[in-house]
Amino acid sequence: MTLSADQRMAVNAGRMLTRFKTCFVGIGAPSLAAALAQRLLSPSIALIYESGAIGARPDRMPLSTGSPCVADGASVIGSMLDVFGELQAGRIEVGLLAGAQVDCHGNLNSTVIGDYAHPRLRLPGSGGALDIALLANEILILMPHEPRRFVSRVDFITSPGHGGVDRAALKLGRGPTAIVTEKARFDFVSGTAVLAAVFEDVTPDEALDGFPPEFGRADHIETIPLPTREETDILKAIPPA
Amino acid sequence: MSKIGPLSEIVRGAVRSGDTVFVGGFGQAVPFAIGFEIIRQRIGDLVLCRTGADILVDMLIAAGCARRVVIGWIGNPGLGLAHAFNRAVAAGRLEFEETSNFGLLLRLLAARLGVPYLPTRSLLGGDMPQHLPTLKQVKCPFTGETLAAVSALTPDVAILHAQRSDEHGNIQAWGILGDTVEGVLASKCVIATVEEIVSSKEIARQPDRTIVPGHRVDAVALVPFGAYPSYCQDYYGRDDDFYRRYDAIARKEESLTAWLAENVHALPDWTKYLAHVGPARLEDMIDAAGPDARAHQVMRS
Repeated sequence: MTLSADQRMAVNAGRMLTRFKTCFVGIGAPSLAAALAQRLLSPSIALIYESGAIGARPDRMPLSTGSPCVADGASVIGSMLDVFGELQAGRIEVGLLAGAQVDCHGNLNSTVIGDYAHPRLRLPGSGGALDIALLANEILILMPHEPRRFVSRVDFITSPGHGGVDRAALKLGRGPTAIVTEKARFDFVSGTAVLAAVFEDVTPDEALDGFPPEFGRADHIETIPLPTREETDILKAIPPA
Repeated sequence: MSKIGPLSEIVRGAVRSGDTVFVGGFGQAVPFAIGFEIIRQRIGDLVLCRTGADILVDMLIAAGCARRVVIGWIGNPGLGLAHAFNRAVAAGRLEFEETSNFGLLLRLLAARLGVPYLPTRSLLGGDMPQHLPTLKQVKCPFTGETLAAVSALTPDVAILHAQRSDEHGNIQAWGILGDTVEGVLASKCVIATVEEIVSSKEIARQPDRTIVPGHRVDAVALVPFGAYPSYCQDYYGRDDDFYRRYDAIARKEESLTAWLAENVHALPDWTKYLAHVGPARLEDMIDAAGPDARAHQVMRS
């Protein structure tokens, strides 16, 4: 059984969540990665949604962070202030972010394609993404391997990565620590994304295919084991949104 | 004196052209019945604000009710873009101020607390802050740290939907509320629709569920299914399929205009709209919300 790009991304990111007790989650690929982690390797991880749900256990993929399945089974339904308050106080360990574009510094764009004043396409905007990017202890970026999404320069920095903000001086989170795709994982070395690991069935060249040259390549590239039978079964059993 | 009244009258009495309107609800309890009544009465020139603006705000924009929106996010959750918003902005018909959800929440919280601004560690990076006139960098007078300050935003009126209220307007709501409580308590005037009117004794049995005290509420209308096609916990589920259909309807201005004409302007009130949706659909939504929802519907019938 082959997995979709989102499902392989979920495997890739989901395995990385074992280090964390608290995870700020958004809609789409982040929710799927978090759901897999919660069902397999990280059963006690507290999933936190901006709508105010803490310890959420959605039984299907939600369309909205305020969907019924986010509320059902949650440990706490607080307010948006409760969850952003925890976030700002530095008490949420990791945030999962996606976006329309990412650059090699982990800057994410979810605002416009094209010029801000006269864009070719206006996107829904930050929501909580800017807040999460600055305030979670660290960030994992989930981005499908589509070359138009990996750019030298994002059209608009909605959610800052490395370099533009003095995170230490402003007492912000550490920023992005990895970008995961359905093919590979990029780690940040001195604030720049470098290819660090590829799935067993992908070559390093394939993992970088179509990306701008700013995305580097580590000297030694690890191998990521293919999705297991168990991971595949769990992902197939999660109803889509 | 009772604060309960018909929906058309409470909207006419509270929402005036030019007002800044906080739209309550977050996933749950989006006040569609009040929004449709605003469209039906052709109230214009509004400034709409909410953190995560969903398709009700897009409909209000399409209907020509809004001059400006103040938002953290606008779209069709999980599905895509706010098509009417994008068309209106591109055509220069709509002003907007976009920030982050936390940034806007703090503006409302400042108004709720009666202070002119609040500091935050968010909003200190990226391209958005340079476009935000309501944000400045400040130094903490105690520690010298650099923080962002966001100015208070005081809506003229808040519109919300909730599970129940008594005749004095003590509104009880539960489930996911997002930014609703901060936005409502920041506002000068509050109107609500509710699934049920209950006795004050019933309210006092669970006062921890009261999100806004009666003395802060101007008027309440009894409007079952007033949050459809969003949901109301323990009453009915979310009609995800409608949100999917809206994406197709809203892609073209003509089809959205026709939809609003048929489903809002051509119908005299919300009851007729629900009849137009059809009882079978609403029954499905009750079933989707579990056995408590069925029990609530039986009790009030």
